[in-house]
Amino acid sequence: MMNVFRWWRGILLAFFLLGLIRVFSPLPFAIEILIFSIYVIGCNFLLGRVGFISFGQPAYLAVGAYSTAFYLFYFGTNPYIGLLFGILGGLVVTVLVGPFFVRLRSDYFALVNLALAVIVFYLMEKVLAGITHGDNGLWFLTRMTSTPVLDISKPSEFFIFAFLVALAVWAFYKYLDDSVYGACCLATKINEDKLKFLGYDNFSIRLLAFVIANTTTALAGSLYAVYFGFVSPEMSSHSRCADPVVVTILGGVGTLYGPIVGSIVYTGMKDLISGVVGNWELLIGFLLVFIMLAGEKGIWGTLEPLLKKAFSRKGVLANLQDSGEKGR
Amino acid sequence: MNNGEILAVRGLNASYGEAKVLFDCDLDIQPGQVVTCVGRNGAGKTTLLKNIAGILKPTSGSITFNDRNLIGMMSYNIAKMGLKYIPQDKKVFSDLTVRENLELGSYATKDYNWDQVTDYFPRLKQLMDRKAGYLSGGERQMLMIGRALLGAPKVLLIDEPTEGLAPGIVEHLKNVFKELSKKTALVIVEQNLPLVCAISDKIYAMKEGRIVAEIKDGESIKAGICEQYL
Repeated sequence: MMNVFRWWRGILLAFFLLGLIRVFSPLPFAIEILIFSIYVIGCNFLLGRVGFISFGQPAYLAVGAYSTAFYLFYFGTNPYIGLLFGILGGLVVTVLVGPFFVRLRSDYFALVNLALAVIVFYLMEKVLAGITHGDNGLWFLTRMTSTPVLDISKPSEFFIFAFLVALAVWAFYKYLDDSVYGACCLATKINEDKLKFLGYDNFSIRLLAFVIANTTTALAGSLYAVYFGFVSPEMSSHSRCADPVVVTILGGVGTLYGPIVGSIVYTGMKDLISGVVGNWELLIGFLLVFIMLAGEKGIWGTLEPLLKKAFSRKGVLANLQDSGEKGR
Repeated sequence: MNNGEILAVRGLNASYGEAKVLFDCDLDIQPGQVVTCVGRNGAGKTTLLKNIAGILKPTSGSITFNDRNLIGMMSYNIAKMGLKYIPQDKKVFSDLTVRENLELGSYATKDYNWDQVTDYFPRLKQLMDRKAGYLSGGERQMLMIGRALLGAPKVLLIDEPTEGLAPGIVEHLKNVFKELSKKTALVIVEQNLPLVCAISDKIYAMKEGRIVAEIKDGESIKAGICEQYL
């Protein structure tokens, strides 16, 4: 029981703090952070665990969003089913392109994903304009029907739903991080040849990581679609391709809570500070330069060891006090 | 094959691009044997091991392990069959702890019994939660050998295990190899002559990509006759 609590306590604390954001900030801001965090965690897993830098995450985001949108615009009205379509769409695309993409390394992998984002953008804007309505996008907010238990067509209940989904996603990624598979991913990043000597097929490890990460990204796209009731090709625009990588680095590459911290900072700058300070992207740029020069650990990557140290000191103190009391 | 060999290499030729590096190499090892390959730098010892482990593809010849031809097989499938390669660079998965490194070995082989590993290398017990990147050279070598032992491999290919290690650790490894050979055949590339003489059942001397001598006689091995090839 104690072990279960220990396993969950970090996630629960993180989501408690995330819940507080809802109390002190507008609902759209809190929802955007939640969805953006889910969007970024896939990129974070690929970069931090497998060593893949991807500038094509918006492609998978758009695939998830459009899969949901097609269902809700043309076929049905239940947003839950729309979400399932989004996940399925992401899964299908990643399984199709994954075997080709994961054979590539570093810069080639980054560029092939960027190329996919461009392809998806032009598919949605031009080639499939007959069904995607091109630049105008697809509007289906009023087509969504109320759903039982949590009516996710309402923003306030959608927040609860997105919160629970994000909690589940984090639990899943923590499980991955703690699992032998997570260690395999890290090992393939560190030295793939050595992993072969132990009997592992690096290709399968990387492909599974690719599918998991990008299906998560598609889930985020699907959540965006349901929340806004609208999708447009702009979401896979090449100008947005670096966003998840930037937020991953901001938060701390490969850290579990980096995507949340990065999303808060990034969305905060975009939504809140941009109202006060113009050129918020310039601030992000300076912040990134500072983070790189300070050791590439990102915000959470820097904070985490300090917090651990502080808490472990408290633990030591508590243990000392306990033993002192026992001594008496 | 088969005169009881677990691993047999016949007429192996290999190249790096245009440059031919192995010429008609023959090698045999029987279960429980310790076979060492000696020779100067550039003699082709490591290339020979890499070809057996499936990391490099030979241009011709055959490699038979347990009556199965290994030519064309992926290195991870060869490892799964029980023929494991331990490279000389002592690079472990530095961001993973010792425990996680061993878990990787266990997960691949479904062998979660670490008693054998900790019996051979008790030091690893104390280092379980340390990141492998912070281990000394000797501890890394222990970890690499220990990890490879999981799944009870039939043959271990070990490349220069004592290179750069302190004499005390070399002595420890010598005893481990002697013990290990009771269960697992060992092919060791080594330049440490006293170690080679102490543990070998057979020595292959290599020169310029060719096996120039096969020393099987115990007296000759003990006498260090292979020194002329180093």
